[in-house]
Amino acid sequence: MTAPAEQIAVDLERQREVVSALRTFLPESAVLFAQEDVKPYECDGLTAYRQVPMVVALPETEEQVCRILKECHARKVPVVARGAGTGLSGGALPLGNGVLLSLAKFMRIVQMDVRSRTARVQPGVRNLAISDAASPLGLYYAPDPSSQIACSIGGNVAENSGGIHCLKYGLTVHNILKLRVATIEGDIVEIGADALDAPGYDLLALMTGSEGMLGVVTEVTVRLLPKPEYAQVVMASFDDLAKAGEAVASVIATGIVPAGFEMMDQAATRAVEGFVQAGYRTDVAAVLLCESDGTREEVADDIRRIQEVMEKSGAVQTQVSRDEPERLRFWAGRKAAFPAAGAISPDYYCMDGTIPKKRLGEVLRRITAMEEKYGLRCANVFHAGDGNLHPLILYDANEPGAFARTEAFGAEILELCLEVGGTITGEHGVGVEKINQMCAQFSSAELAVFHAVKWAFDQEGLLNPGKAVPTLRRCVEYGRMHVHAGQEKFRSRFKVQGSRFKVQGSRFKVQGSRFKVQGSSNIGRPMNTKFPTLNFEPGTLNTEHRTRNIEH
Amino acid sequence: MTLSAIHRARPRDPLPEALLGELRARLGDRLATSAAAREQHGKDESAHPITPPDAVAFPTSTAEVAEIARLCARDGVPMIAFGVGTSVEGHVLAIHGGVCLDLSRMNRVLAVHVDDLDARVEAGVTRKQLNRHLHGSGLFFPIDPGADATIGGMAATRASGTNAVRYGTMRENVLGLTVVLADGRVIHTGGRARKSSAGYDLTRLFVGSEGTLGIITEITLRLHPQPEAVSAAVCAFPTVDAAVRTVIQTIQLGVPIARCELLDTLTVQAVNRYSKLSLREAPMLFMEFHGTPAGVEEQARTVQELAKELGGMDFEWATQQEDRNRLWQARHDAYLACRQVRPGSRAFTTDVCVPISRLAECIAATNEDITRASMPVALFGHVGDGNFHLVIPIDETRPADLEEAEAINRRVVSRALEMGGTCTGEHGVGIGKLDYLDAEHGDAMSVMRSLKEALDPRNLLNPGKVIRVRDS
Repeated sequence: MTAPAEQIAVDLERQREVVSALRTFLPESAVLFAQEDVKPYECDGLTAYRQVPMVVALPETEEQVCRILKECHARKVPVVARGAGTGLSGGALPLGNGVLLSLAKFMRIVQMDVRSRTARVQPGVRNLAISDAASPLGLYYAPDPSSQIACSIGGNVAENSGGIHCLKYGLTVHNILKLRVATIEGDIVEIGADALDAPGYDLLALMTGSEGMLGVVTEVTVRLLPKPEYAQVVMASFDDLAKAGEAVASVIATGIVPAGFEMMDQAATRAVEGFVQAGYRTDVAAVLLCESDGTREEVADDIRRIQEVMEKSGAVQTQVSRDEPERLRFWAGRKAAFPAAGAISPDYYCMDGTIPKKRLGEVLRRITAMEEKYGLRCANVFHAGDGNLHPLILYDANEPGAFARTEAFGAEILELCLEVGGTITGEHGVGVEKINQMCAQFSSAELAVFHAVKWAFDQEGLLNPGKAVPTLRRCVEYGRMHVHAGQEKFRSRFKVQGSRFKVQGSRFKVQGSRFKVQGSSNIGRPMNTKFPTLNFEPGTLNTEHRTRNIEH
Repeated sequence: MTLSAIHRARPRDPLPEALLGELRARLGDRLATSAAAREQHGKDESAHPITPPDAVAFPTSTAEVAEIARLCARDGVPMIAFGVGTSVEGHVLAIHGGVCLDLSRMNRVLAVHVDDLDARVEAGVTRKQLNRHLHGSGLFFPIDPGADATIGGMAATRASGTNAVRYGTMRENVLGLTVVLADGRVIHTGGRARKSSAGYDLTRLFVGSEGTLGIITEITLRLHPQPEAVSAAVCAFPTVDAAVRTVIQTIQLGVPIARCELLDTLTVQAVNRYSKLSLREAPMLFMEFHGTPAGVEEQARTVQELAKELGGMDFEWATQQEDRNRLWQARHDAYLACRQVRPGSRAFTTDVCVPISRLAECIAATNEDITRASMPVALFGHVGDGNFHLVIPIDETRPADLEEAEAINRRVVSRALEMGGTCTGEHGVGIGKLDYLDAEHGDAMSVMRSLKEALDPRNLLNPGKVIRVRDS
């Protein structure tokens, strides 16, 4: 995360040109540009970053979406798509010289098919609205991000959202079958299939989690699941974080795949209890929630075994939900963790990293040590079953220097995730927030492949530029930043020599103030086409640093 | 592309002498140019004619693959990754010549993480080898295409198997890859973490790309705990339709059945002969249930009731591990068994997949095609996924056979596409399904083509497969 960029002043002439072009086919009320009208779109769920867009477009039909993209493409105006604006990494942060394409009016559930257990929905439909509509048919849509009341399915696709139940039922990518996507040229492409597998390249997976950089989703076909007959949850309390971490590994090792498996540390349970009274013990180090769903026999079997393992792992107390209201109450606390953090602290910063499960105890200990180092409290909630951490760093934005410390704290947590073999984002996406950490997670060859993919969809880089995938120039700057901050990790790979750089163990050499590529590769540079040299632009350096562990 | 079209001679330049020399210097006797070695690497299990590469390299590490790729890229020579050649759509045929990279000597299981339920293997490890390695760990790797394919080949073709209905296909079970790019650079995708939303999903982009975007050299796989209880059963039905309807209702009820395979009467006869079994000669379902003892019993009871209502006979149980293994080995050998129905023939297979709601209708119509065919055509498949195959035995000396097989395939595929299905559920595209892809994907093909151009601008990686670029 870097300090929020300066607000870009809007180019009024350009704005007039774009507005009048869009108004030739959109009603006046669907093209906003007055300061007070576009202000509500200046940020998404990551409120630390704000930028007022040049123009906001509110189309109602797929044809209008295509037309908007065509106009923007012709005029080289960048486009940022936006669903419900609940994203936590700034993926929908607008551009001061761009069009914000809101899909808020795409609210229709087009078709519900009981026999094939699918639903065809427009991208603005809320996640929970799909399950609500499917409920009378005995079906539901499995991925359930915490923001499911508000977040839209189109946004879920863009971020590959997960949620509590993704441990058993998978992420968005596992629960969608087909997409209709508008390309930057304004053409509609259908990808995926109603059947199990679509041949050829897996465009569906590529589009899922691409953060609006490859195309604009205009329709989603989701898979629906039969509602489980029965569900119960075990709540286990531990007086030691490491024991709780062990318990997670032990339950998974039994072969049970819990429907949900969550952990909260003491700071989190205290915050939550003050907010919703879910019945958590606040005198213990950690609370685990572990759910089983299925038929009554299966659930009874699982619950008995889960309870046994928890007790053997040293739980000071285990409690099984006795009825549906109690089960929902146990979960209500976990689902309210973010607002609860908001209630005990003026501001909080939600992180999102993943780690191999067995490193959980160690990572928690080191985060505790960081709390002291940065003088900030951190409440931890985890999707424990799949090793996805959400540390909530509590801070007060009005306190001078607090935000800078929060950022540094957050960056150190993410780099810790990488160090132990995890990733910098489990489910919230990269957006603008983690773009620098991408340089640490991926090598230059890997970033070149990302750029090649981007090129295949959007040659001029007009779709959500500046998000998700950093340019190599940015990585060089980030490397420099870290050298200046005195961080060992990058220093070992970068040497600053006066005003020059030298990269060790790579094919690139610095010449004067520019960098020259030696032995250049042409991946990402298709034949017979003018390719904007995304991967090796002059002045950038092919940084070979990487910190990810591939454990053998 | 029709088979006859592949016969057309393609202009190919011989490998540059300098390149051969450099490869030989690096690989020694792990570079083969003999006619026998080349022929062996110019074919798979399909009916496509043998199309050998110019040389076969047997690298033993990712670094060697990268080195070979760098040299081939320098000289503009095609590269074809090869596992054990069990593909069925001509994936490994060297239709533009070039160097075949046989990865079967990269056969080390690099790590098994029991706690995290994952393993890292080299591309040449076969699925049975991996499961032998996992023996005693309490874990297993579920994906089981008929052949003992390599994990690399299975990832490259996005393979599936008999228990995809429960455990998914390679798409769901590959967590990360090491890939050598067209210019010899090496990348790592994904990782051991179960979730990551960092960057585009390159893992799934390379899974199923059939060696046309990069060469997969290492794979991180998801493993699954051995279920506490397993039971298998066979059930005979009066008609194929009754069997199919039983499956559809099972799936729609949400019964988490682990395996569910349909065999028509001809397939059962062939399997009986080939695997020395004595199954009742009628349309049949092979089923397996995984879970807790109570759960397994309940699942089986539910399915048995459904079957009964549709005229199914009583379940015959295979309770011993040994009997179960025989049963499933027989199912895996069904393809080979059906080929024997007509001695000396080569098999032409189809591989359509339709939404489960259209399956009964699709199979009924396909059965009419079978009845009209001049040769004995067997139908079987992973019906729980909506995926089924025809095995059409063709006599290579009779051109009319090939034409008829191609005509049946065209009818089956266009019917599947009309029903919202796909031309290939698990075998991949190779060269056999190239033409259908356009019909199925329309505009999406131009996006796929751009991806191919962006990642392999000179069309050196397994050219002529999956996607047609310019003159390939």
